[in-house]
Amino acid sequence: MTNLNRRTTLKLMGLGAAFLAAGGRGLAQQAPTADQLVRGKNPRLLVLSQRPVVLETPYDLLVANPQRTPKELFFIRNNVDLPGFNTVEGASLEGWQVEVGGQVSQPFTFEARELLALPQHEVTMVLQCSGNGRSFFQPRASGNPWGRGGMGNATFRGVRLKDLLEAKGVRLGERAFYITAHASRQGGAPEFVRSVPIHALENALLALSMNGEPLPAVHGGPVRLVFPGYFGVNNVKWIQKIEFTEAENTTAEQMPRYRVPTIMGANVPFLPQEPGRPYPYTFQNSRPNWLVTINSFIFAPLEGQRVEGPLVRVEGVAFNDGIAPIVAVEVSTNGGRSWSQARLDRREKGFGWVGWRASLFLRPGEHEVMVRAVDALGRTQPLDGNLAWNERGYEWNGVMRVKFTVA
Amino acid sequence: MKRVLFPLGLLTLGLFGYLAFSQFTLPEGPGKDLVLAKCQACHDIGLVARERLSRERWDAVVREMELQGLQLTGEERAAILDYLATYLGTEPPPPPAQAETPVQRTGAQVYANCVGCHGPQGEGNPPAFPPLRGHVEVLLRAEGGRDYLLLSVLYGVQGPIRVLGQAYDGVMPGFAWLSDEELALVLNHLAAWGAPPGFRPYTPEEVKAARENPRSPEEVLALRRGLGLP
Repeated sequence: MTNLNRRTTLKLMGLGAAFLAAGGRGLAQQAPTADQLVRGKNPRLLVLSQRPVVLETPYDLLVANPQRTPKELFFIRNNVDLPGFNTVEGASLEGWQVEVGGQVSQPFTFEARELLALPQHEVTMVLQCSGNGRSFFQPRASGNPWGRGGMGNATFRGVRLKDLLEAKGVRLGERAFYITAHASRQGGAPEFVRSVPIHALENALLALSMNGEPLPAVHGGPVRLVFPGYFGVNNVKWIQKIEFTEAENTTAEQMPRYRVPTIMGANVPFLPQEPGRPYPYTFQNSRPNWLVTINSFIFAPLEGQRVEGPLVRVEGVAFNDGIAPIVAVEVSTNGGRSWSQARLDRREKGFGWVGWRASLFLRPGEHEVMVRAVDALGRTQPLDGNLAWNERGYEWNGVMRVKFTVA
Repeated sequence: MKRVLFPLGLLTLGLFGYLAFSQFTLPEGPGKDLVLAKCQACHDIGLVARERLSRERWDAVVREMELQGLQLTGEERAAILDYLATYLGTEPPPPPAQAETPVQRTGAQVYANCVGCHGPQGEGNPPAFPPLRGHVEVLLRAEGGRDYLLLSVLYGVQGPIRVLGQAYDGVMPGFAWLSDEELALVLNHLAAWGAPPGFRPYTPEEVKAARENPRSPEEVLALRRGLGLP
C-alpha cells in the first residue's frame, strides 16, 4: 500500500467521526444494551455478542474499581446461555444436583444445599477470558474482539472440592490425572465440558458466592467450579457433573478451541506461529489455555489523559497464575531502553491482582509509559505480544503502553 | 490514491460499524441466506459478520463449527466457504452485480434469519425451538397477540413457554438490527401461514413505532403470559 499522508488520514478520521455523529444516535437504539440482555448489568458494558451473551467491561470502569470488580461490571463470556439465568441475582440452590464420578473410589451425587454445611473457604482471584487482549494481535485473530476488559478481580467463597471429597470419604484413583467438568444442559443448552490437570484440585473451589453476595446466576450461580490461577474458560459455570479422568476430554471446547501451539517437550513458553496462517491443532502440538500468563495493566494515567507534572504517579495491577509470587513490576518511559522499579502492594503468592505504583519525574509534553511484571520464576511479558500470534488470539500478554500528556 | 482510499474507507466504515452498532449484518452476495440459516441456529450473526479472514482460516472455522455439531452437505459447505472468503475475506469484496437497481427483498428471504432455529417451513425443532406454523395463527387470533409477535421478533423472548402443548425453555434473540421494512416483510411472511380474517398486514411504520419503547426479552415474556393463550 502506498504511503498515506496526514491530510488523507485526517479526512478519513473526519469521515468516520461524521458517520459516528450522524448514524450513531439514530441506530444506537437498535442494538440492545448490556442491561437489557442481562438484568442488573451496567448499561455501559460493551455488547460483543447477544447470543451467547458476551459483555466486555469498559476499561475506565474496570480501573475505577481497583480492589474488586463489582458484579454489575464484571465481564461475561458465555459459551452457553441457560434460559432464565441472565441476571446478576443469585440462582436457587434448591434441587440443584451435582454428580461426581470417574476415577474415584465411590461415585456420588450431592445437592448444592449440602455445601452450606461444610467448611467455607475464600479466594480472591483474577478471572480472565483467554481471549482478553485478542484485538491487539495482527493480523486479526478470530473471535470476540476483546480489548482489555475481559477480566476482573473477585473474591469467591465456597467449599473446596477436596474438602467435599474428604467429607464424603471418597479417594481418588491412581489414574485420576484430570478434572473434567460439565456444565448444566437445562433448557436444551449445548454441551460444555473442560478438563484441567489434577494439580488444579489443590485450590479448586465449589463457589457459592462472589464478592460477599450470592453467586450471580449469569456468572454460574448457584454453583461454579472455580480453579484459581486458570483462565476463565476452565471455571465451569452451572456445574452439573465432575469427573476425574485419565485423559483430557475430546469435545470442541478442549480441542481445537481454547488451545495455543507448543513444541512438545521443549521448554519454550510458546511456539511462534506464522501470523495469519492456520495451524493443524492436535493434542501433541498444542496445549490448552490453562494457567494464566503473567500480565500487568496500567490503571493510571489512562490513554490520552492530561496529568499534572512534573511528578507523575503511574499505577496499576499485575498478576500471574499464583504458582510463584510476583517479585517486580517495572516501568519504562523511553520505549524500553531502561526500566525502573514500581512499589508493590504485596510480595506473597496469590491469585488476585497485585497493585503497583511508581512516581516518575516527567517534563511537560507527550509521554508513553510501558509496564511489565516479573515473577520469582523469572517469567515476564514480551515487549511484542504479537510474537505469540495464534489464529484464535488467546493468551495475549504483550507489554502494555499508554500515551498521555504532562501539563 | 484511489487504491489506498478504498480499503481505508472500508476500514473506517468497519470501525464505525463496530463502534456504533456492535451489531452486524452480512453483506449481500450469493450464499448469504444459507450462512444466516446455518450460523444463527447457535449464535448471533455478529460473530461471523465482523470477521475478516483468509479462505483457509475460514475453512478452519467451519471445521470447528462442524465439530460443534454443524451439519452441512458438501454443496452447502462449498457455498458457505465461497461466501465467507469472498465477502468476509482479507481482500475488499467485489461490488454487487447490479448496484444500480436496489435489490427488492421478499419476506421469504428475510426469513432466512429464522430458518436455523424454526425450520424452512416453520415446523420448529422440539424441544429447543418452537414451531411457527400453527403457532403464529394462535397468536394472531389472541387479543394483543399481533403486538406480541412484533415485539418478540424485535426484542426476543426468554424463559419457559408452552407452544401447542409442548414445553420450551430457550433463548430467542431479538432481531432489532433488521430494518423496519425487513421486519414488516418477515412478519407478514409468518402471517401468511395462518392469519385470521380481516388481518391487517404489518407496516414499517408500525415497527418503527415499536422501537420507541425498548423491551427486555423478559418483559416480552411477561406480555406473552398476559395473552391468555390456550
